[in-house]
Amino acid sequence: MKNKKNEKDLALPQILNLDDDFSLIKRFIEGDESTFSVLVQRHKEKIRNIIYLTLGNHDLVDDIAQEVLLTIYKNLSRFRFESQFTTWLYRITINKCKDHLRKINIRHIFLSFKDSDEEPGYEQSPETSDVKEIVHKAIEKLPDKLRIPLLLKDIEGLSYREIAESVQCEIGTVKSRIFRARESLKTLLKPYEQELL
Amino acid sequence: MKYFYKSNYRAGGKYELLSAYLDNELSDEDVKKLEEELQFSKELQEKLTELKKIKQLTISSIKPVQENPFFEARMAAALKIKNPWHYKFRRFSPVFSVIALSIVLMIVLRYNPKIIDRLVDQQKSSITAFYKENLKPLLYTANLTNEDIFNFAFYHQLPLDSKKKQYLLLGSDKNGKQYFEIKDAGFIQNMNNLARFSKNLNLTETQQRQMDSILASYAGDLQAQVLVNEKNTVAINPNIWNFNKAIAIDLISFAQKVNGKESLKVVPPGYNQLPSAKALKQMAKEIKSAKNNKYIFFTSDSIFSDQYQFNKGEFNKEMENWSAEMNKNLKQIDKQFKNFNVNIHFGDNFAKFQKGSSQNKGFNVYIDSNVCRVDIPEIVIPPIVLPNMGKLSEKIDSLIKYFGSYSFSIPNPGKDKNFNYKYFFSDSSKGYKFNYKAFGFDSSFTPGNSRADQMLKKRFKNFSFNPDSMASIFKMFMGDSSNGREMQKQLKNFEKRMEQFQKQMEQMQKQLKKNVPEEQQGKPVEI
Repeated sequence: MKNKKNEKDLALPQILNLDDDFSLIKRFIEGDESTFSVLVQRHKEKIRNIIYLTLGNHDLVDDIAQEVLLTIYKNLSRFRFESQFTTWLYRITINKCKDHLRKINIRHIFLSFKDSDEEPGYEQSPETSDVKEIVHKAIEKLPDKLRIPLLLKDIEGLSYREIAESVQCEIGTVKSRIFRARESLKTLLKPYEQELL
Repeated sequence: MKYFYKSNYRAGGKYELLSAYLDNELSDEDVKKLEEELQFSKELQEKLTELKKIKQLTISSIKPVQENPFFEARMAAALKIKNPWHYKFRRFSPVFSVIALSIVLMIVLRYNPKIIDRLVDQQKSSITAFYKENLKPLLYTANLTNEDIFNFAFYHQLPLDSKKKQYLLLGSDKNGKQYFEIKDAGFIQNMNNLARFSKNLNLTETQQRQMDSILASYAGDLQAQVLVNEKNTVAINPNIWNFNKAIAIDLISFAQKVNGKESLKVVPPGYNQLPSAKALKQMAKEIKSAKNNKYIFFTSDSIFSDQYQFNKGEFNKEMENWSAEMNKNLKQIDKQFKNFNVNIHFGDNFAKFQKGSSQNKGFNVYIDSNVCRVDIPEIVIPPIVLPNMGKLSEKIDSLIKYFGSYSFSIPNPGKDKNFNYKYFFSDSSKGYKFNYKAFGFDSSFTPGNSRADQMLKKRFKNFSFNPDSMASIFKMFMGDSSNGREMQKQLKNFEKRMEQFQKQMEQMQKQLKKNVPEEQQGKPVEI
């Protein structure tokens, strides 16, 4: 199925429109900075969603999205047109999110001295009986490596290839991680089988 | 946290493939194989159902992030802040420009403190020079008559053009402030004032001439009082009010001198309390001698007062040159305008005119009830078969048409240009032969009109036109109607063609001279 997709892509010649991403980037490089606002308008929601899915925090979405877009603005003139703009965009977004998570984790190391007994896991009893809330909390408990590919696939609908390029790993790794994420999720949700049925 | 998945993980197992199958990420071959296995493996089917359930739960658990309407505005603001240095510079560039300009100005003004004054003066002088360029006296074209100057003196009105359609009026309000205005001629009522003035004073011929010379002496000075140019600038010398008084005083002074008693009666209202003759003379002298070169300039965008020296001598010279050039052109036109005679014969007996016609020089036009014949003068036609006579007869035919109803207008002749029109009436004892003159022809012919009317009605009853009076014939012939002009044009064309024809004939004559017997040459041939 995947190969079929690639064949289709090869069969169709790529016709650039005036307003496709590459054309807009070219115009931006030539000095027409107004095209950047078109790119922002076009991709902002995707960026914000990925950030939200990756970090699981509404409050940080706009700040991180802004950082992502500023990074793109500064580096857009160096874009090499070798991959799709969205792939590059998602990679920067994921990296920004990872940076943020790393900062949080570093902070968490210092905080963990105080709250060392707070261990996430299925042993903890849930405080809510709402199915969506239970699943959401279970997803949040997944490690980043599993959670991010899972959400990029199930929520954002990215292909394994796009996810692999975004998180900078092999496609096989993505496939494996998504499966492992689902298996872990199943384990985490086992105590709530009755509610979920 | 690794324990979450390790316990359930089966490396390389079919479950991972099932997960990829669920995500539509397997190749066709793998899909085929897996689907075959799925048919026979209950375990795999259960696992697929389980994975589907997990995927569904994942999708349903996450709400999309809410849109932030201010995101783009925030983004734009952030871009401005985080932009590179040149963006910041561009933002403040107007401020830098103003500062730089101020510094430059300060330096310039420090070393050239009067530069602004000089610039203003320069600008001012260039603007005024622009408006003062090529000023010409407005009243030059008005051809001021003595009557006009008289009216200006006592009624403060001056015609601005030769047709006297517009007048310049001088006035003063209750506070004594003087003003002027330009009005259409509709309101002007006091005409022939000078004639009445002269009559009431009982002037002798000599005195009349004296008064005329007084008035004429002001014409030139008055012209220079109102100047105009093609930039719609009107420049008025305030001294025009003084001239107004000066002329009035001069005339009153003259009136007192020639007829002291009667002068009081003829002077218009407001001028009847006359000072002594000596005082009047002194006043006129003072006003005349007061040279004022300061004009008030009315332009399309400003009004200003400035010095202006109108060079009357230069202007007159210019006008003389222009006049000379015009005369030269007129002479050239005159040269092209040949003298010719047109003899027109009216009658009902065509044969009677044939005898005398050949003696007349010029064109002889015979008009009968049936025919119109044109004798062409001074053309020696060789006795050969003439070519292109058909065209000539067409021309004559077209001429007949116009003779049938109208005639041509006669150009205004000069002293040396005589257009002799002779009218002959065939069987009448009285023929008419007259030299056309431009002026007064109506009065000359008025006494004979009634007799001519009777005669014409009788003689022309068979003609296509029926003139009511002799005067109407003259009007028709001399009128400036479109048909009259057309006739004139036709005749000119005809004349040109005749000249060409004559030249052609002369050439042909030269060529054929050798072959034609001498005795046959020079005999006129009837057309």
